Amino acid sequence: MIRALGYFIEIIRGSLITARHFMANMFFHILKVLGIKTKRKGAVTIQYPEEKKELASRHRSLHRIMTREDGQPRCVVCMLCVTVCPSECIYVEAAEDPDPEIQKRPSQFVIDLNRCCFCGFCVEACPEDAIRMDTGKVEIAQYDRQDLIYDLDKLKE
Amino acid sequence: MIKIIIDDKTVEAKEGTTVLSAAKLAGIQIPHLCYHAAFIPEGSCRMCLVEIEGFPKLELACSTQVKEDLRVWTQSKKVTEARKGVLEFILAEHPLDCPICDKAGECKLQDYYEEYGLFESQFKELKEKREKKVSIGERLILDRERCILCTRCVRFLREVTKTQELGVFNRGVRSEISTYDGELVDNNYSGNLTEVCPVGAITDTDFRFQIRSWFLQKGDSICPLCSRGCNISIEYHPGFARIPRKKRVYRITSRENLAVNDFWICDLGRYAYSYLDENRLSNFLSSLNGKNKRFDQESALQFAAQKIKKLYDKKKISRMTLILNSWLTNEELFLVRKIFRDDLRMQRIFMVDPSQGEKDKMLLTSERSPNRKGAEEIGFDFQSLDFKGLAGKTDVLVMFGEYLLDLASLEEIKAVLEGIETSILFSSKESALVSLFGLVFPTALAAEKSGSFTNCEGKIQSFEPVLESWGESRPEWQFLLELSRELDINSNYYNQIESTTAVLEKMREEISFFQKEK
Repeated sequence: MIRALGYFIEIIRGSLITARHFMANMFFHILKVLGIKTKRKGAVTIQYPEEKKELASRHRSLHRIMTREDGQPRCVVCMLCVTVCPSECIYVEAAEDPDPEIQKRPSQFVIDLNRCCFCGFCVEACPEDAIRMDTGKVEIAQYDRQDLIYDLDKLKE
Repeated sequence: MIKIIIDDKTVEAKEGTTVLSAAKLAGIQIPHLCYHAAFIPEGSCRMCLVEIEGFPKLELACSTQVKEDLRVWTQSKKVTEARKGVLEFILAEHPLDCPICDKAGECKLQDYYEEYGLFESQFKELKEKREKKVSIGERLILDRERCILCTRCVRFLREVTKTQELGVFNRGVRSEISTYDGELVDNNYSGNLTEVCPVGAITDTDFRFQIRSWFLQKGDSICPLCSRGCNISIEYHPGFARIPRKKRVYRITSRENLAVNDFWICDLGRYAYSYLDENRLSNFLSSLNGKNKRFDQESALQFAAQKIKKLYDKKKISRMTLILNSWLTNEELFLVRKIFRDDLRMQRIFMVDPSQGEKDKMLLTSERSPNRKGAEEIGFDFQSLDFKGLAGKTDVLVMFGEYLLDLASLEEIKAVLEGIETSILFSSKESALVSLFGLVFPTALAAEKSGSFTNCEGKIQSFEPVLESWGESRPEWQFLLELSRELDINSNYYNQIESTTAVLEKMREEISFFQKEK
């Protein structure tokens, strides 16, 4: 009986803490809305779709394929990204490049984002700095799985 | 036998062997680039330098012959320093284009740098620019930047094929491998140059940029394309997680066997591997009575057994014809002999092989099937088949392989088959014959089954499956064993047999030819 009462008291205390935070946040938020500057900030919630948090400089976001000056992808199909990828989501196919200095270029470069775990190993493995994960794009959700399979054209953007 | 001491290990070697091969026999690896067991040593790469007691300087392991009580050190400080120096000089000119080099992953220079090099290059000068893509043969590409002038290719063409299409031109830093007057390398063994080259200087267009070598898995097999029975490795891709692979087999490489093919295989065996993936039959097919009934393995075997049994019970087995070929393994031919000739007492058994091709002076024979000798030893004679004459004499025709197409035209075959009540085909390929036969069994190729071939010299070579079977196809020996169970004749004998090794055991008991080779 006494034990049950103890729980009850704890619930009331918890509710009071929540209420206090709510009131304090509400108060400072109203001040901010009214344009009064205060030392303390009000509500910590970011109003997500309208407001966006800045990503850290090292954040790993959607991949992109880097291009040479002439717009061709830098990738030489060494397939180290394919080798290192732990979720086996990269598929690359090689074609002959007419330039004897380049020789090898990708005819297909597919990343299956359904499988990708954003570990960034492909970026580290790449000897040509052809793949980077610095686009800052994190909203890549799609309604269809097929739309999450990115090919070369999509990755070059 | 001569006793020498390598790294405090006493090694026995025959007189005349070199320090390098003596060390190799004892399990001590000495790095080498220009040395190849098949050629006379040249000693141009200097990678195999070792310290020998009593010699003032480091000596070449590849060309120093063993002497009594020679003391050799392969891991001393002097030797490792020398190796580093040699590697640094080789890499002074060798480009670091491993990302686009087809040899990467199996390149000896790459391996040796990992193992013995690992230095920062002291060269400040830029690497020399040379031609990157010179065609030196129908399928061969030479990259002069990558070439380390080990002259293995030159020696291969001089000592093995004796065609001498390549040579070293100019001198000093301007030395380069080239063809004489632009005459391309044109012999049936040119594909071996890609294997002989220790770096990626000579590559072939067939494998060029197809895949990186470390994705491939290797399996040992026997080449079935002629009766030589060369030992090969089939290199195949096990498959990606989600994306279908382009093909299973990416290349075929030679496997050392000094008794058969040394280190080499011919270009026919090397580049004709697409037969493993193309035009393969994956299902049981039937067009009985004009209807396309779908068969599975069990119903197909029951159907075949029922038809054969009916003839046998009516004592009309002479109205059955069996056509074999020597692409079948020893075990399969033996099972055919047991079931059809010994048990069913069939007489009309014929062999139809692919038509003969050209042979050359080295390995390639004119027979385009691997087991003709085996078929002869098991007791099949190669009497010529009068195919048009079959029409009135046959009720049931069972045929293995699609080589009839070499013997008769499609119209002729069609006309004959129309007069035969039941026609059954065992085929691995989706050839034109498939639609003509009443029932077609999909079968496996040599790379997908276990068994043995007897090569033209009478050597029996066993092999195991490398690739998984294609669709519903299965090896012929499994079909034959199942068929024997369905026929239910002499079943005690066949119940003892479960695998090809069991068949081989039986063969050894019953045929003296197979006895002697144990």
